[in-house]
Amino acid sequence: MTITATKDDFTGTATSSANGAWNIGVPEQGTYTVELDESTLPEGIALAEGQENPRDVTFSQTSNLSVIFAFGEGIVVQQQDFGQNLLNRLVAGLSFGLLLALASVGLSLIFGTTGLTNFAHGEMVTLGAVLVFAFNALGLPFWLAILLALLGGGLFGYAQDRGLWRPLRRRGTGLVPMMIVSIGLALAVRYVIQFYFGGATQQLPYAQSPEIQLGPVSISPNNLWSLGISAVVIALIGIVLLKTRLGKATRAVADNPALAAASGIDVDSVIRIVWITGGMLASLGGILWAYYRPGVTFDMGSAILLLIFAGVTLGGLGTVFGALIGSIIVGIFVELTTVFGLAADLKYVGALFIMIVVLLFRPQGILGRRERVG
Amino acid sequence: MSSTSAAPAAQPVTDGDSVVKVTDLVAGYLPGVNILNGCSIEARKGELIGIIGPNGAGKSTLLKAMFGLVKVHSGTVVVRGQDITGLKANKLVSRGVGFVPQTNNVFATLTIEENLQMGMFQRPKDFAERFDFVAGLFPELGKRRAQRAGSLSGGERQMVAMGRALMMDPAVLLLDEPSAGLSPVKQDETFLRVHEINRAGVSVIMVEQNARRCLQICDRAYVLDQGRDAYTGTGRELMKDPKVIQLYLGTLADTAE
Repeated sequence: MTITATKDDFTGTATSSANGAWNIGVPEQGTYTVELDESTLPEGIALAEGQENPRDVTFSQTSNLSVIFAFGEGIVVQQQDFGQNLLNRLVAGLSFGLLLALASVGLSLIFGTTGLTNFAHGEMVTLGAVLVFAFNALGLPFWLAILLALLGGGLFGYAQDRGLWRPLRRRGTGLVPMMIVSIGLALAVRYVIQFYFGGATQQLPYAQSPEIQLGPVSISPNNLWSLGISAVVIALIGIVLLKTRLGKATRAVADNPALAAASGIDVDSVIRIVWITGGMLASLGGILWAYYRPGVTFDMGSAILLLIFAGVTLGGLGTVFGALIGSIIVGIFVELTTVFGLAADLKYVGALFIMIVVLLFRPQGILGRRERVG
Repeated sequence: MSSTSAAPAAQPVTDGDSVVKVTDLVAGYLPGVNILNGCSIEARKGELIGIIGPNGAGKSTLLKAMFGLVKVHSGTVVVRGQDITGLKANKLVSRGVGFVPQTNNVFATLTIEENLQMGMFQRPKDFAERFDFVAGLFPELGKRRAQRAGSLSGGERQMVAMGRALMMDPAVLLLDEPSAGLSPVKQDETFLRVHEINRAGVSVIMVEQNARRCLQICDRAYVLDQGRDAYTGTGRELMKDPKVIQLYLGTLADTAE
């Protein structure tokens, strides 16, 4: 059957899949009128009594909201039982967690090698999605737009280090002043993006993605792609860090920059590579985040910045694998809280709450290690 | 030895045996505040040089200035005939200078093997050969190569630190107070190791608080005072020098050893 969501001049239409699930991507948060076209219902099925149609739904803080149209005579046909719902949310959470991890790993690498807590990392995430939208709007093919957005992210990382952070490091600027500078940079970049991009929500190509059934799990192809891409990229980063000369040098710089220099490692060039990689990873995370929500906005990166920080802190500051695990936990937790009855509007609160609880019992984070002194 | 030809700024040094020659070094952390006020020392091939002196004499600063970690205002540092004054630390490694800092001298989150790999970051091809050399000096490291350096004791870390600095086959090894923070037994062990490293053909310049033990094992020593080299002589000479005894060794009692 066909469902239509309308708000002002926006109209989104979706056709439900065989099991009755449907999904409409909307451009911005707000109140939408959702209407089920009763003429498209299969024969012998009607809306249950008291089911309002059309009805108004509002979402403010969240990016997804479920609307259930119950059929039959007062019998609510639950399309998904609890277990099924749990499984679906787990997979979605994993997908969300892995895209968070893309951003977190970069943030963690930058923190590890330079000590900088970079609040502008959210804008690096936004930039990826905005660049894909911009390049695509210019008429470039989709794949090229993505490639250019990734390169743009790397370039932004490089430029930040070259033009701002490296000079500040040379001057011996303290970490707290640098953190404040990063907050200023975040605001500046965010509003420059808003100035050119506008305040509206835009959609990337192929953002509409009806859920498909994959074994017991129903998932949208976009989420599936996102999951696969982030898993592969993160595995690659892990292999590079653990096995290659450059990866080991990066860990050495993160561990002890002065000693790394004394060992013959060019610390500045390692940090430069980390910034470029971090920028590209954040861009990729941003593109995937634009599909996950779905939608591109000027503040989409800062919307998940706190979740990225939560992932990094949860796993153990400065440990890359900690950032990975922390982000996956945050992602899954965010999605699961809705299954266990927490209002969808509060789901980010749950993730931050679990961070506080973990840090109370394990201050160094999940993978952070206590140092033996002497 | 391959790096000798690499430097365009190479300056020939008259004394063919000289490995390190520091001339009139003036250096400090802040502009206008010099810690070193014209310090000159020299290490010849195969020598074990000790540097002692009271607190604040500039012992550690001398090593750091030689290694490019402190700004040099004037004077020169020449290693194997090449002027290396003011070069950055990561460039010095390929010029044959190894440096072991006093604190934070291992990569705690890396394994022993990775620590040693980092030691020869610029020449990864010869790892196996150099690893065997270092494992020969410190058999313990060879056996525990997969263990994280952060889980080691202070004495064990000191071995990893020295091993890392030895990986590039340095012409000279700069040691900043290797015995600091160790128990007396571990201190003795460390001095023994330094002696072994030196006997394996590496010139060593060692800054030490423990003046007596330092003088016992070194070939020659310099006594630093207020940023200058005040006295020099063989270890034995200095141990018997009344001025040195009075200033830095305390009593005469143990000098017979």
